[in-house]
Amino acid sequence: MGLDYKLVLWNKHKKAYDKIIAFGMVMYLVLFIVLTLIFNPETIAETMIIRAFGSLAVIMLHIILAIGPLSRLNPQFLPILYNRRHLGVSMFLAALIHGVFAIIHFHTLGNVNPIYSVFTSNMDYGSLTNFPFQVLGFLALLILFFMASTSHDFFLKNLSPQVWKGLHMLVYIAYALILLHVFLGAFQQETSIFTIGIVVLGFIVITSLHLVAAFKESKVDGFKGEKDTGGWLKVCDMHEIPEDRAKIFTVGKKRVAIFKYDGKLSAIHNVCKHQGGPLGEGKIVDGCITCPWHGYQYLPHNGQSPPPFTEKVATYELRLDNDIIYINPIGLEEGTAVEPILC
Amino acid sequence: METAVTVFLTILALYFGVGLLFGLYFMFLGAAKIDSIMADSKKKVRLLLFPGVVATWPFLLIRLFKPNTAD
Ligand code: HEM
Ligand code: HEM
Ligand code: FES
Repeated sequence: MGLDYKLVLWNKHKKAYDKIIAFGMVMYLVLFIVLTLIFNPETIAETMIIRAFGSLAVIMLHIILAIGPLSRLNPQFLPILYNRRHLGVSMFLAALIHGVFAIIHFHTLGNVNPIYSVFTSNMDYGSLTNFPFQVLGFLALLILFFMASTSHDFFLKNLSPQVWKGLHMLVYIAYALILLHVFLGAFQQETSIFTIGIVVLGFIVITSLHLVAAFKESKVDGFKGEKDTGGWLKVCDMHEIPEDRAKIFTVGKKRVAIFKYDGKLSAIHNVCKHQGGPLGEGKIVDGCITCPWHGYQYLPHNGQSPPPFTEKVATYELRLDNDIIYINPIGLEEGTAVEPILC
Repeated sequence: METAVTVFLTILALYFGVGLLFGLYFMFLGAAKIDSIMADSKKKVRLLLFPGVVATWPFLLIRLFKPNTAD
């Protein structure tokens, strides 16, 4: 959305969140090292680094995987969602340090190419307990590299939406590879119960969160409101919509987001012009509906991006009757101004 | 198995090798062709984009031959 590309699009909030990310990462590493020194004082420095960064990366990956469904269930998590990009890149860097140290520590002694050595130093590919688990880590790291390296707005714009989304969905393959990397690795290293515990628990939490969020989503699609005599659809009590946020309804096969802000209500088509992000899962920032995926903005009363941008989404007419919101299911042209109703 | 590994790693090395060469060309000349915003952006931005260009060069190569689909 910029007129020129910046290195990083930082604003006050993003800087604050980045500080939290950096602080959290450092705290974890310090804690890890202190605990290791207490309980396992004979651990050498390289092993400590490999384990500290590996487990840090796994924990961060779980947070990343949880944000999507969490913010769908509870909008209070949205600020983390808006900041997901920086979390993703930081997580890749942690995983990279883990991988590079592991390769240096285990694979640079001989005269074979270290990467070749990752694949061939253990050829027991048919075994379960002695599987070359580092290969799985390597493949996961490769996927994470693709995602982190294409995180700039330039790629959002210049890789087609399908390619970008496809790259992104690879994260689930990376996640599976990492689970196997940790579990199969545990047969061969004395991986701590702590790490195994986190990964098992994490897997259960992530799967349940995704299932619950998917269930909630299916309820939105199943929504059938009553129609009044004029053909308008009864949607909900206005108090059900939190300030500066929206509720999403299926109206005439289309998803519509009804936003409440500054004592007003406005309705727009739920689908972002950029890559189809769910606008109703975003919130109002600086008077604009802000897409939860990459932050495109729209004015609530006319569905237009503020100048100099030109994106437009369809708007809908609303009516309020004893605090009950009614919507005209026939949407207006994209970008049509509709007087917001007062509430 | 050893041949499979060799084949896989050779393909990977070729992919990134070509990516590096393409990346150099793209950073200095190609990027501004498919994206007018690039021409006005700082040089450091190009450095930041470099790894991603190396990673996704086939898609960007296609864009060079089929311009103006995103604007
Ligand atoms: C290694 C780094 C990354 C990881 C592991 C990661 C992980 C994920 C996951 C698991 C999802 C799906 C979650 C959901 O919607 O419920 C997702 C979606 C998304 N991520 Fe990332 N991400 C990474 C990097 C980035 C970066 C750098 C950006 C910023 C450009 C980004 C932006 C998004 C967006 C916009 C979505 C929603 C789009 C969609 O579902 O197709 N992510 N990411
Ligand atoms: C080139 C890629 C990789 C290599 C060579 C590699 C190598 C290793 C090695 C040798 C270990 C055993 C360390 C030990 O217990 O002494 C290990 C464990 C581990 N790896 Fe990786 N890994 C790679 C990628 C990854 C990635 C991408 C992740 C996650 C994002 C990851 C997460 C872990 C975790 C959580 C452990 C268990 C740590 C522990 O023992 O407490 N690894 N890896
Ligand atoms: S989908 Fe990218 S900003 Fe909405």
